[in-house]
Amino acid sequence: MKRLKKSLSLVLLFSLVSIAVVVGGEAAEKVPQAVQVTIRTILAGNKSDEFDPKLKDMEAQLKPLKYRSYRSLKDDGQSVPWQGTKSFDIPGGRTLTVVPQEFQNNRIALKVRLTQGDKPVLDTTVRITNKGNFILGGPPHEGGTLVLSISAAAQ
Amino acid sequence: MTRCEDTGKSIGRWLDGELNPAQSAAVCEHMSDCPACGEERRQLEKIETTLRSVLVAESARVELAPLWREVRQRIERKRAWYEGLLERSRELFTAPRAAWAVPVVIALLLGVFSLDSYWPGWRFGASRNSFAAVDSIDAHGRSVALLRENESKTTVIWLYEDQEVENEAAEEESKSSPAF
Repeated sequence: MKRLKKSLSLVLLFSLVSIAVVVGGEAAEKVPQAVQVTIRTILAGNKSDEFDPKLKDMEAQLKPLKYRSYRSLKDDGQSVPWQGTKSFDIPGGRTLTVVPQEFQNNRIALKVRLTQGDKPVLDTTVRITNKGNFILGGPPHEGGTLVLSISAAAQ
Repeated sequence: MTRCEDTGKSIGRWLDGELNPAQSAAVCEHMSDCPACGEERRQLEKIETTLRSVLVAESARVELAPLWREVRQRIERKRAWYEGLLERSRELFTAPRAAWAVPVVIALLLGVFSLDSYWPGWRFGASRNSFAAVDSIDAHGRSVALLRENESKTTVIWLYEDQEVENEAAEEESKSSPAF
């Protein structure tokens, strides 16, 4: 009888720990207070075959864009609170404004606005996988084309 | 409950030596003062003595040697490998041990479903659902393309200008700052 009681107590304890782990996991997904937003600015062109070694980790994402050269212009990272707004300077007098909106199913919803001076160029809302990125490209710059990698990681 | 009722319930345990010293002393004291409880004690002692004498007399007639021989044979007999396995599995799946299986299975299932919270993207590697979903897009009159590159699971938003605007922009670019 004592053994049975002991076993049942252990089973109960084990179940409680399991529930705590699961609930903790759920809570872990809700906890993020801010988003680390990183903007990588790349100049793509066709005047040379240079591939900047700093962009090695993005090679698979850049190659399909069919440019001959890729050069990293700047990397900028900022922590942005939910519903907060942060602006990033982009070469050519442009500004990229990012507003993290929500975190759901391990995806971060980002509201992104690209402006040139006072003129809006692009407004978009994108849901990216936590620690993932997307590419925004096309703006001409110094005889090439700007390619922006916008990534976000919940903190 | 009266003192006699309490003592009456404890006499049997007192006779079996199951009471602690304090309880034992209390029962003894009450039995020596209370004729009814003292009588009950004597009756129980009498029954116990009778039973013991009967058991001793009967056990003398029981032949224990064949029983022990059988026990020894069973201990010494070599068991087939599957018998041990069967016995162990029987032990494993007999309550209360089997009770472990239920929470273990539940915990494993919950763990599998909640692992994503601790280790995002574990199920199919980093590429799992890594396409960005575009909820809305407004290029303010410019042409825009939404591309998805399957190999690297990359979503690309590409801005184009109409050729006319592009030419104008190129001219402006040479004069001042670049434009889309």
